[in-house]
Amino acid sequence: MSSIALEKVVKRYGAFEIVHGIDLAIDKGEFVVLLGPSGCGKTTTLRMVAGLEDVSDGKLSIGGRVVNDVAPKDRGVAMVFQNYALYPHMTVRQNMEFALRPLKLAPGEVDRRVRETAAILGLDALLARKPSALSGGQRQRVAMGRAMVRTPEVFLFDEPLSNLDAKLRTQVRWEIGKLHKRLGTTILYVTHDQVEAMTLADKIVIMRDGHVEQVGSPEDVYTRPANTFVATFIGSPAMNLVPARLMGGKLQAEAFTLPLPDRFAGRTAEGQAVLIGTRPSDVTLTAADNPGALRATVEVTEYLGDDALLDLRVGLHEMIAQVPAANRPGNDASVHVTFNAAGLHLFDAATGGTLLS
Amino acid sequence: MNKPSTRQAILVYLLLAVVLIVFLTPIYLVASSSVKPAPIMFQKPPAFFFTPTWEHYHVLFTERPFLKFIGNSLIVALGSTAISLVFGSLAAYAISRIRHRRMNDVAFWILSLRMFPPITVVVPYYIIFKTAGLLDTPLALIIVYSTANIPLVVWLMKGFFDEVPSALEEAAMVDGYGIIETFWRVTLPLAAPGLAVSAVFCFIFSWNEFLFALMLTGSRAQTATVAVMSFWSSDAVQWGRIMAGSFIILIPGVVFVLTCQRWLVRGLTMGSVK
Repeated sequence: MSSIALEKVVKRYGAFEIVHGIDLAIDKGEFVVLLGPSGCGKTTTLRMVAGLEDVSDGKLSIGGRVVNDVAPKDRGVAMVFQNYALYPHMTVRQNMEFALRPLKLAPGEVDRRVRETAAILGLDALLARKPSALSGGQRQRVAMGRAMVRTPEVFLFDEPLSNLDAKLRTQVRWEIGKLHKRLGTTILYVTHDQVEAMTLADKIVIMRDGHVEQVGSPEDVYTRPANTFVATFIGSPAMNLVPARLMGGKLQAEAFTLPLPDRFAGRTAEGQAVLIGTRPSDVTLTAADNPGALRATVEVTEYLGDDALLDLRVGLHEMIAQVPAANRPGNDASVHVTFNAAGLHLFDAATGGTLLS
Repeated sequence: MNKPSTRQAILVYLLLAVVLIVFLTPIYLVASSSVKPAPIMFQKPPAFFFTPTWEHYHVLFTERPFLKFIGNSLIVALGSTAISLVFGSLAAYAISRIRHRRMNDVAFWILSLRMFPPITVVVPYYIIFKTAGLLDTPLALIIVYSTANIPLVVWLMKGFFDEVPSALEEAAMVDGYGIIETFWRVTLPLAAPGLAVSAVFCFIFSWNEFLFALMLTGSRAQTATVAVMSFWSSDAVQWGRIMAGSFIILIPGVVFVLTCQRWLVRGLTMGSVK
């Protein structure tokens, strides 16, 4: 039985529909990340699960129970807000106790849980402080602690790291991952940061404009993107896309011709317009006499340390290559490149969908 | 900020002295006149040194039931303040949180209740309370003052509620609280400075009000402000007693403001979000 299930869930504000019938099943104990650009409906979806937004249409269930019309307080969820939403007039201890009060536990049990959670999160020394006397990272941990003490069925995280600086973000990301392994609670996590999604998720749900574009493990969405949106959204720098046409069993682009890899045999039609996708790391420099080598001009070289990014012009096409920084060509150099055939993606030019599905 | 120079400091203190003189002189006059023997009351130049007399206070509490009038004033002022805070803050919360395109009109309509000159409604109020048998009761004044105080509370508290981040209320709701508990335990405590400001305004207005108290009360429910003016009759103005009564009237307002002062701190919401 899934822990959270969305069936054709729609969110409308008046006549304006922003979530268009989402289907999603989250298993017990799974860490699921809703990932997408801002305005894609991911936060709205999370808020519907929390009960902070009404579900306009469709069915939402938590733990097998339909909760469309259940108040947030009765859903058995705990939420960590983007801006933490700590109660400023209460100390850290009171913030956590406040979350426990509705459960009507024995006083000893309240105390035990607060101590235990504070110990796990390293908040012991801060229990008597007010939120205004805490740093950003500490507030973040208190917000998590307030959610954890309730031992909920489901944790909801709304961009919990977006207010932290880069270094702290990495550290708290690790802590969240460790907590999930330790507690094993179902987590639904919203972010626009693909690194958070790739590192934390068991399952990534990629959203755009109120639609789900792909659901899969981090490896799935990286190695087998369902469409050009996912292909270019996941991975940095983004995947190169080159328009081409299938002619006589070969991929004919403006500036070059590639043999069609075997795995696409039977999945394409003669004359079909396609987009060839290559990750920058699959574009490699090669010797001029290598069969299949393509002439390219380096427009800009960006040095990153271990690697360098080359802005290339191959005929009419612009693309990016990620190459080892040692022996990198300079600006305006003339080079030869080749594509790693195993890493080649093909998408239908009209629909943007992958040809491998 | 730069440290002020000595010259600036002197200037600031001079200005403060002027302001203090302007504000404190009337209070000094009330206080000193209340213990001045009647013969030297209007001596020119004023007598700064004299043997104080408690005669005016004595008359106030022995020949008149002044304590009862103070009691009436307290009942009316505290009653109206309490009612105005309860209804005013609940209305303000609704106006602050409910999104509706006509909500601003509702808020403006409530404010408009304060826009007419009070004197225009004295006679209608008199007729209403006479019909209802409420003339010369504290309840009549509580009702009248609350109609004047509630709009003020609504507007003040709306501003304070607007500043309480809705994320805090959402957090409380996810934490297991209903809307009323969320309001009571999260929103209202964070708007406490607003409550304190509102309470001070309501109390002072009700405590000092004269016109309605004069028209709507007789001997039983008379308030202190009206009682003081009863020393001003057609044949004599008993200044000493008026001053003694006025000085006593000053005291509860000061005490009330000082009591509320510790809630009058802003910035209580700092550190909640971000």
